[in-house]
Amino acid sequence: MQNFPNSPARPAGRLPSPGGPDRRSFLGLSLGAGAALVLSACGGESTESGSGAGGTLKWGWDLPTSWDPVTSSAGWDVHSLSLVYSGLTKLGPGGEAVPGLAESWKYNKEGTSVSFTLRKGLRFSDGSPLTAQEVKKSIERGRDDQKSLIASQLVGFEKVTAPDAHTVTVDLAAPDFQIPTLLAGKTGMVVDPKVFEKDPGSLATEPAGSGPYTLSSYVENSKAVLRRNSGYWDAKHTTVENFELYPRPEASTVVASLKSGQYNVAEIPGSQVKAARAAGLKVQVIPSMVIAVLDVHNKKEPYTDPDVVLALKHAIDREELLKTAAFGYGEVVRQPFPSGYVGHDPELEKLFPYDPAKARKLLAKAGYGEGDELELTLTTQEAEGASELIQAQLKKVGVKAKIETIPEARATQIVYVQRKKGLYLDKFAGRDSATQAFQVLFGKEGLMNPGRTTSPELEKALEVVRRTPLESDDYPRVLREATSAAVRRMPNVFLYTMPRILARNPSVSKIPEFSVVQRFEGVTVS
Amino acid sequence: MKTISRSWRLRSARLALAALAVVALCAALGGVLAPHDPLAQHPSDMLQGPSLQHPLGTDYLGRDVASRLLAGTGLSVAGALESVGAAMVIGALPGVASAWFGRALEWGALRAADTLMIMPFTVFAIAVVGALGNGMHQAMLALGLLFAPLYFRVTRAAALGLKQAQYVEAAELMGASRRWVLRVHVWGKVLPTVAVTTAQAIGQALLVVSSLTFLGLGVQPPAPTWGGMLASDLGYLAQQPWAPLIPGAAIMITVGALNILADAIRDSTGAGSGTAGAAGAASVSRAAAGTPKSPGSSASQPHAVRTGEVPADVPTA
Repeated sequence: MQNFPNSPARPAGRLPSPGGPDRRSFLGLSLGAGAALVLSACGGESTESGSGAGGTLKWGWDLPTSWDPVTSSAGWDVHSLSLVYSGLTKLGPGGEAVPGLAESWKYNKEGTSVSFTLRKGLRFSDGSPLTAQEVKKSIERGRDDQKSLIASQLVGFEKVTAPDAHTVTVDLAAPDFQIPTLLAGKTGMVVDPKVFEKDPGSLATEPAGSGPYTLSSYVENSKAVLRRNSGYWDAKHTTVENFELYPRPEASTVVASLKSGQYNVAEIPGSQVKAARAAGLKVQVIPSMVIAVLDVHNKKEPYTDPDVVLALKHAIDREELLKTAAFGYGEVVRQPFPSGYVGHDPELEKLFPYDPAKARKLLAKAGYGEGDELELTLTTQEAEGASELIQAQLKKVGVKAKIETIPEARATQIVYVQRKKGLYLDKFAGRDSATQAFQVLFGKEGLMNPGRTTSPELEKALEVVRRTPLESDDYPRVLREATSAAVRRMPNVFLYTMPRILARNPSVSKIPEFSVVQRFEGVTVS
Repeated sequence: MKTISRSWRLRSARLALAALAVVALCAALGGVLAPHDPLAQHPSDMLQGPSLQHPLGTDYLGRDVASRLLAGTGLSVAGALESVGAAMVIGALPGVASAWFGRALEWGALRAADTLMIMPFTVFAIAVVGALGNGMHQAMLALGLLFAPLYFRVTRAAALGLKQAQYVEAAELMGASRRWVLRVHVWGKVLPTVAVTTAQAIGQALLVVSSLTFLGLGVQPPAPTWGGMLASDLGYLAQQPWAPLIPGAAIMITVGALNILADAIRDSTGAGSGTAGAAGAASVSRAAAGTPKSPGSSASQPHAVRTGEVPADVPTA
């Protein structure tokens, strides 16, 4: 199982610390643009409810940074974009690629070419036909457009051809068996060429896709209203007629908002679980691929010194962070994948135990001993909670950390595009494909790799991963080797997983549990 | 000082001053009085209720709330004082000057004051913080700029009245320099008005400062502030529904005391009340007991602003 959608990751560092998403969003609002999102459809479990769709699902979650998957700057956007776009593939509950717009695909033996066969009679939400030609153009735009933030994931797509109306063939520069999973997320969303050839700017607020819903109205930072798209290829599983998407709810008011009916499904922080249950709401803790992480810019002082970076890894008490900032929801990790995922190597959890004495020793070795303590700035979107804990933990090893907050709306730009910050507390949203996750976090052009450094050992390991078919018995082993190389060689300090905690009104049926993209197939609202 | 001793005769003033003395003490010595280190985290004791060791309980990181409240007083109050101090400098002197130094200056100063008065406090402060960086000084100077018209108008109104006072005209006829007149005859009379305005402006500024820190602007965590504590407490209502009342009470008591004090000073001096016709008549008798009132001050001035009026956009929560 691989997972996750493409492109940039959710930019933000806000940990689930209960203190105050709102204040942060307020700051963001004052300074910039907003975001949003939603989900998509897919054949999961549950009802065969046919076309008897009805009800309104009001999701308190987040709005996307853009409704254009090619320029959206947050990995998190995949949830909202999946509501209005669909791709050749999507991910099943186990993280494996399952048919989407393509009903099947076939690799050549070497893994250098893959042909997708499209379903018959596909249409964009506006009713115009969606054929291989449109898919080809859409992929090429993602790869070639100057403003594309997914281009780095498509560089291996040497040639995209559409030999007939229902076949798209991708020729790759090197063997890579991850393409079907790669295309399951933002990277593979098919955008209508009629629109981006004429007015690509309009996509930011008016998506042009072929997803389970169409956007009927959108107010930035406020609300997106969507309507079921009866022309969607899997419309029979779209069981909710009206969908409303809202920005991230405030921790202090989310339970009240759920009770009052402002939302009927919302993401809540760990601190609110008790209150939500007491209020008679149903709470689902869905394991996700999201991981809290400290991004380290290892081309900036003092992180150019590997001893300083290693000291950080030993100085952070991840258990305490998890217990206090996340109220114990999640698990401690020292790698970019949660346990249970094929790329997760349990052995790596033995690395970097919490050891302040060792951290002090490493810092002393790097020249930051007594009386000459290291001073650094911890950048975050949310000063309260995890950031304050990390600051106190660093103080215990003699590091003086200053907390600096930046608004959510500008975080990606400041940290990942301009690369102005040395240490940044963020969440990695996970990706549809394992190699894509590696690319984003550790690649030479990886968005979430502020130092843009990589390791030859890791590159080599990834090369092997790409040329190994996902069904192969060797796959788990080679993937873990890559994980191991990344965790040992790269500066990121992984902290803990962040499950998706969804509270819902009892009138909403159980939400399917997808680890990467939250979709709502089969969900009913009575 | 004279003003304060006169006000002391009012019971409400004594109460307000007592409350403010406690606040001032906490502001000056809060860190020393705090029973625990306000920044020391004890995650295993997070969100505890009141106990002997922690009289007001602990917060989401196990920090002692009582200590944070005490230590937060300084930052909260200093911010308010800074903005009001800035406002006084920017507003009061031009206010007096505009009555004496020619039409060009008067016209310019009035237009500038009009412009500043239409700005909403909190939003303006947020914009300044966004442009100049997230710091307390940036936010407070922005606030000071917006409070300045208050001082400008109040001092100008008082000065305009005094300008026509017979003893001022007499002094001028006897060859007193403008400087002498302003220093000896005008400034001393304007001061009570400034005192009322100040007491009340500090209260308003404290509310705005608390709003800003509530929004995460100005002071960065983990440094404690009343507004910041209030904001973080709201995230844990399920665990500690009473917690926001503590910083809320601190803000309310301080602002309330300042407003009561402002009222008391006005009542005991008549400052700021004699500039508008109707209100002036009502307070003349009270004022007569206190300061010698210049007869000219009852002349209605179109730009006079009563200090009791709160700018519409100052948060009241």
